[in-house]
Amino acid sequence: MSGQMPEHARERLKGLRSSAHSTGVFTSDFSVNEFLLVRKAGFEPIGLCVGTCVYHVGIQYGSWSKNQELDVLSKAMYHARELAMSRMRAEAAAMGADGIVGVKLTIKRLEWDEHLLEFIAIGTGVVHGDGHKGFRAHDGGPFTSDLSGQDFWALLHAGYRPVEMVMGSCVYHVAHRGALAGLGTAGRNVELENFTAAMYEAREIAVERMQFEAAAAKAEGVVGVDIHEGSHGWQTHVIEFFAIGTAVLPLEQEIAPEKIADPIMVLSVND
Amino acid sequence: MGLFDRFKGPTPEQKAAQAEAAHRQADILMSLRANRPPASTLQRLQEARAGKAPWIATLTPAELMIVRSHGLRPISAVSATSWLHYGWSWTEGHAQGWGLALERLKLEAKAAGANAVLDVKMRTVPLGIESSMDFTLVGTAVFVEGLPPSHDPIVATVPALEFVKLLEADVVPTGIAVGAHYEWMSDWRGVASRAWMGNIESNALSHLWETVRRRAHANLRSHAAGQGNGVLAHLNFSQMFEREGGENQPKQYLARHIVIATTVDARRGQPFKHEVKIALDVHAGRSPLNTSSRHHQSYATNEAEGGI
Repeated sequence: MSGQMPEHARERLKGLRSSAHSTGVFTSDFSVNEFLLVRKAGFEPIGLCVGTCVYHVGIQYGSWSKNQELDVLSKAMYHARELAMSRMRAEAAAMGADGIVGVKLTIKRLEWDEHLLEFIAIGTGVVHGDGHKGFRAHDGGPFTSDLSGQDFWALLHAGYRPVEMVMGSCVYHVAHRGALAGLGTAGRNVELENFTAAMYEAREIAVERMQFEAAAAKAEGVVGVDIHEGSHGWQTHVIEFFAIGTAVLPLEQEIAPEKIADPIMVLSVND
Repeated sequence: MGLFDRFKGPTPEQKAAQAEAAHRQADILMSLRANRPPASTLQRLQEARAGKAPWIATLTPAELMIVRSHGLRPISAVSATSWLHYGWSWTEGHAQGWGLALERLKLEAKAAGANAVLDVKMRTVPLGIESSMDFTLVGTAVFVEGLPPSHDPIVATVPALEFVKLLEADVVPTGIAVGAHYEWMSDWRGVASRAWMGNIESNALSHLWETVRRRAHANLRSHAAGQGNGVLAHLNFSQMFEREGGENQPKQYLARHIVIATTVDARRGQPFKHEVKIALDVHAGRSPLNTSSRHHQSYATNEAEGGI
């Protein structure tokens, strides 16, 4: 076999490698705007990547009158999301993707069993058009990000690149008040300090865990953070605090503030 | 966990974790009473400010870009909660609850060495426990490069893009003002509902509403006075209830109105310096140019939705 490959085959292979799935067809759930902006940012979509995990969440009851983290549930939520995410990432790596943008992470209850939760992570694997490998995560695998195509473009133009979708979770039992506790508060508005404290602790735990993941990914910061609460059909006093965002690193060189383009104010003439 | 593990005592690690949790909760309670951020939060904020831990921003990348281009840098997400039981008044509880949460949010921002908190969202967990509600604020503390930390950080309950838009027009959003008022009316003469009369104004109810709404707005004005010279009242919430009277008792009507606003400090007669371009937006239907996403989730407002 000769060491020299024909020129057009080389081109074709280069094309396959840098801008297309091995089947020659790319798949994505991009909107038109997203598609155009991801390409404008210098990337090409190669394929939808999916990770799924159906998880049986164990049972844990909080003590009636105690504020406490329900660590069995926290761990379940964490573990199941992690499994779904890592499966999605493995599929992206197998495609040769440099990263996954627009990751949507959703949780569904399966109606026939209250302990079964389905976790789905889905996003579009992308490669850098010129084969630049500097966009990969710290471990050499594809970066992950829940940013839309538009956000991805904006992030690169702000001088940062996505590294990893990071999250922190805390499932928490808020203490019940005693039957007589209400009597002392008749006629005035009082703060329920125990409840306030529960919110503080649960949120702090979730944010700390997310920040810890970001530090482990060697990121400089976390952008697009959403801190929200959810109740996945647990008892009334049980709530999950969830912090999620995209950990980012500066591009090779941080952009000076005055180099960032000024946006233009526009007035829409649509109704 | 095995089937019989529950009969064993806790492991040493579990014991240590329980002790730590108890310690943290005690610290949170003491800190709330002493008007300071809890120790664990304080440590996290200071590490983020010093660059020893990753910064955390609730901003989108586009917001980060515009904020950075104005010399602002994110430090960390900050948050505050006050969970209030309405032993006295639901309506007025809202002013108290948000007021307390705002004070606590400023404490966290100060501890982080911030000049401002942007993108502050008003949130409430949907637990619905015992005629009480939590008032939670979550936002991003930022500092301005070259400025010393503020002893009184401003709090902007608008998204970061709108914050920068306001700054460019020399308007500074400063905090939250709440105007809340309720009144009961006993309808002794049965004049509120006169269905038999055909087309006629129910003067009693009109008057009740007008009084309640005007007082709420007067409250709003006085609450805002300490924070800025104007408000952008984005959220109006009102409800009216009828309660049947008992024997020989009149029907009663309760009207309540809550208005929540972003306070601003604006110099009069200073329009923004940008040229305005007229654009045709080719989105079908909803367009990001003339709609904004819902920012706060504490009130399922029964009025038209606004930007707040």
